[in-house]
Amino acid sequence: MTNIIEASSMTKRVALGKNTELSILRDINLKVKKGEFLSVMGPSGSGKSTLLYNISGMDRMTSGSVKYQGREIGSLKEEDLAKIRLGTMGFIFQDINLLKNLSLIDNIMFPALAAADANKHTISQKAKQLMKMTGIEKIADHTSTQGSGGQLQRVGICRALINNPDIIFGDEPTGALDSKATEEIMSILAEINKTGTTVMLVTHDVKVAAKTERILFMIDGKIVSQKKMRKYDARQDDRKEREESIMKWLMENGL
Amino acid sequence: MFLKMVKNDLVRNKIVTVTVFVFITMAVILAASAIHNIASLIQGMSKFQESAEPADITVMHAGEFDQAKIDQFTEQYREHIAVQETMVLQNIDGSDIQIGQHQTMAETIQDISFVVQNKNFDFILDINNERLDVKEGYVAVPIYFMEQYDLHIGDSITVKSGWYEKMFVISDYARDYEMNSPLTSSKRFVINQSDYNQMLKMQAGELEYLIEFKLNEGGDAAAVQTAYNEAGLPANGPIIEGKIFTMFNAMSDMVVALVIIFISMLLIVIAALCIRLTFLATIDEDIKEIGVMKAMGISQKGIKKIYLSKYKVVSIAAGIIGYLLSFAAVNLLNGNRRLYIASDLSGNLNYLLALIAPIFVYVMIVLYCNRVLKRVDKISAVEALRSDIMERSKKRKYSFPLQKNKFLSLNSYMGLRDIGKRFKLYRLLFVIYIVCTFIVILPVNMYNTLNSPEFSSYMGIGKQDMRIDLRRTDRITDDFITLQEEFKNDNDIEKYAPYITSSYQVKHADGTWHNLNIEIGDFSVFPLKFLEGRAPEEEGEISLSLANAAEDGLNKKVGDKVTVEAGGKEQTLTVTGIYQDITNGGKTAKAHTSLGVNEASVLWYIVSINLAEGVAIREKMNYYQNAYSTAQVNNIEEYTKQTLGTIIDQMEIVVIGGISIAIIIAILVTALFLRMLLAKDMSQIAIMRSVGLTLRQISYQYMAGTLMVLLVGIILGALAANFLGELLVSMGMSSMGASKIEFVHVIWQTWLLCPVVLLAAVGLTILMSCKAAVKDDLSAVLRS
Ligand SMILES: Nc1ncnc2c1ncn2[C@@H]1O[C@H](COP(=O)(O)OP(=O)(O)OP(=O)(O)O)[C@@H](O)[C@H]1O
Ligand SMILES: [Mg+2]
Repeated sequence: MTNIIEASSMTKRVALGKNTELSILRDINLKVKKGEFLSVMGPSGSGKSTLLYNISGMDRMTSGSVKYQGREIGSLKEEDLAKIRLGTMGFIFQDINLLKNLSLIDNIMFPALAAADANKHTISQKAKQLMKMTGIEKIADHTSTQGSGGQLQRVGICRALINNPDIIFGDEPTGALDSKATEEIMSILAEINKTGTTVMLVTHDVKVAAKTERILFMIDGKIVSQKKMRKYDARQDDRKEREESIMKWLMENGL
Repeated sequence: MFLKMVKNDLVRNKIVTVTVFVFITMAVILAASAIHNIASLIQGMSKFQESAEPADITVMHAGEFDQAKIDQFTEQYREHIAVQETMVLQNIDGSDIQIGQHQTMAETIQDISFVVQNKNFDFILDINNERLDVKEGYVAVPIYFMEQYDLHIGDSITVKSGWYEKMFVISDYARDYEMNSPLTSSKRFVINQSDYNQMLKMQAGELEYLIEFKLNEGGDAAAVQTAYNEAGLPANGPIIEGKIFTMFNAMSDMVVALVIIFISMLLIVIAALCIRLTFLATIDEDIKEIGVMKAMGISQKGIKKIYLSKYKVVSIAAGIIGYLLSFAAVNLLNGNRRLYIASDLSGNLNYLLALIAPIFVYVMIVLYCNRVLKRVDKISAVEALRSDIMERSKKRKYSFPLQKNKFLSLNSYMGLRDIGKRFKLYRLLFVIYIVCTFIVILPVNMYNTLNSPEFSSYMGIGKQDMRIDLRRTDRITDDFITLQEEFKNDNDIEKYAPYITSSYQVKHADGTWHNLNIEIGDFSVFPLKFLEGRAPEEEGEISLSLANAAEDGLNKKVGDKVTVEAGGKEQTLTVTGIYQDITNGGKTAKAHTSLGVNEASVLWYIVSINLAEGVAIREKMNYYQNAYSTAQVNNIEEYTKQTLGTIIDQMEIVVIGGISIAIIIAILVTALFLRMLLAKDMSQIAIMRSVGLTLRQISYQYMAGTLMVLLVGIILGALAANFLGELLVSMGMSSMGASKIEFVHVIWQTWLLCPVVLLAAVGLTILMSCKAAVKDDLSAVLRS
């Protein structure tokens, strides 16, 4: 299997004052396989979000290299990065980040319309189909102020999926949701992953991590440890064990 | 928290503060210098009047003349008349005056005369407003000619007329209260008595008399005029009242000052709009803090004070700086006044009066801020803290869905729908673009109108190629006849029509008789535009100029009757039409030929001519000019241009100023607005980028929105300038005798050049603003 992401010796520093710099990411080496379902954990401020933003090219890393689908992210122009994001990446955020003046369905259609490689009718069919799949078809014409957190997060997922991405990044997508909604969102993501889409999540929630097949653990901007598991399968009733083993692993790493 | 908020506000709105400051400063500079100039104009006029002591009534007369009768009349009306004096003008044709080697003054439309200084009043002054005392061999030349022919003190002019030939050295500018203005059609050159006597002896010029009266304080000018007419005293020229001179002198400076005050008002409006924009933006952002402060028990007054104090400081600073800078600006636009009316004025009154501008601006700004800040009252503590919830509960119908977009690209559509979604925000920009377009197009229209051949229709002249004026001489009637004979045989002339103006007596509503100059001829040959009704076509018909028909004139409407007396015979004429005319003080009339010439008081003969196609107008003009020494040949465009010269020149400055100000405003406000908008939309922009839109695509959205607003603004602004502007200008001109000015639109300037200039300036600003707003790392915004 080929790697969709290959990061080596990647760092991110930001200037704080005139002469002071803060290292947020140090010496990141990471390979993500195509079709993998992985999660990133770690204490608050350890650099998890920053990792996502930098390997996806939304932020510019300070040094090192990130290859995305074989192309060096660091040497791409803003325009090309945007094109890659539009066509091959999907993002889900904790606070969803919908466009305020668009209805929910328009938010979902927006990236497809921007890519403009299908006609409007096809796009709107696709959006409706996605909304149906995630169970929010009834609120299509609402605005972003008129939905519950769980509903809106599904809108975020639909938007991330509309252009058939190769990878989905989620920065604590379930962070603001109750356990029932979290459960539902995770099963949607698992479904997506089954179709071959790579999924990479940042989470604090062991229950979320338990449904992924690899967990990275970060402290102080470094990936200090990782844990591999079998792919989760709801039919094998091993959720409890997975969660417990993760807890144990986290403790070992000093959390 | 107070300090924090004020500091936040300053940092956040640095550009806004600077912009508001610039606008207020500019407004103060303009208003203060305009007021300053009006004040010094008034002061200068009164000093000028004091030194020149102009006549209250001036009667022009050419031909037979008996001073004894006039003296008798003067004695008879001693209760009104203080002094009488007759000035004898020696009229010299412009072509007989040589400047330098080859040039003559032939082209001028002005009547030129040589005079000596009066003894008692109506003095002609030098550039320092001292009475001229010209030495032998020297001449004082009217300022109008010094300017027109670019003459300097020390240059010489040569008068060559018949046997007479003499060279004069220019020793002074002649500042002439009565005949300064290009709108007065005669100009007086002042020479020494002995030169004058020699000229007289050699009959160099045609004689003309200015019979001038200075009245006692409280003397009745109208009564003297009527009595003069009734006494049958010589008056075959116009009778002019003193106040017309004052108006002509002040007019062009006044017009310019008023235009500038108008622009400065617009600037204040724009500054106010900017303040409103900042208030709305900052108060929205601070709404939670306001709530907290209210919850803490801080009074509304206290809260408002925080917002207000900044603008108080800004407007005080801008007021002081603007006021000081106005001292420098003052001299930019009063060149005309300094030359024609008074060079240097003492006294500090102007400076004091100019203080009105900054004080007025300060009061306006503070009042306006208070009004905008009413919003703070409406925010209750709880509400402010819950503003999010409030928003959520608002259910509105979703407009402009993306699916509805059939023709536009996604980004153009996003930009355009944003205007609909947030019209309140864009409204400000919209108003400002309208104002900017207005400021550009109104002066351009005025300039084009003044400069166009069609302007002749406001001067009571029909459209024509060329006109010949015959001067009052003993030969005038003979010349007039031979001239017409020659026209008949000249194949180059397509058509011509002679017009004779003579003075008649007309009965006013109160039964008194007054002078009225009536032009007779066939008005169908060179049709004149009529405001109402039509030209007189038959016997017993007359048309009046607007000022004559007005209430303070004859007070007549179309269809009314007018009683006119000529040669001892009374005739009743029907008013067929009213036309606009700004010449001769606005008071003229036109009647059908059958009215008959009032032989005793013919004022002037005019022949209007249209040339056949392909005939060189310049050559024709030269031919007739040389063939008839008493004739004055003008092409009509030149005629209007010379008459309106100063106003056109000053208008040029206003046009350039208007365009520069409009562009500065458009750029500053656009930059300001976009900065605010981009800051407000920071997260939305980041979201769009995270989804995969490029910065270029996003700036395209803002470009589409802003340019759309600009486009509509330009259209509305141009329409406003064309229609509302026409109304405004007509109102301003109505005192001069033209109440319905129709602008000459130069289509490509209104609809191509001005829009392109504004579009380019704004487009570039948008591009720069969007570029400047870029932050490289998206995460900084997205995860806040
Ligand atoms: N632009 C920036 N300037 C300064 N500091 C930054 C910047 N971006 C991130 N940081 C700092 O870098 C560290 C890592 O931030 P990051 O958001 O990646 O952590 P995280 O692991 O996602 O934390 P959390 O679990 O709370 O979301 C934090 O201490 C943060 O304050
Ligand atoms: Mg984070």
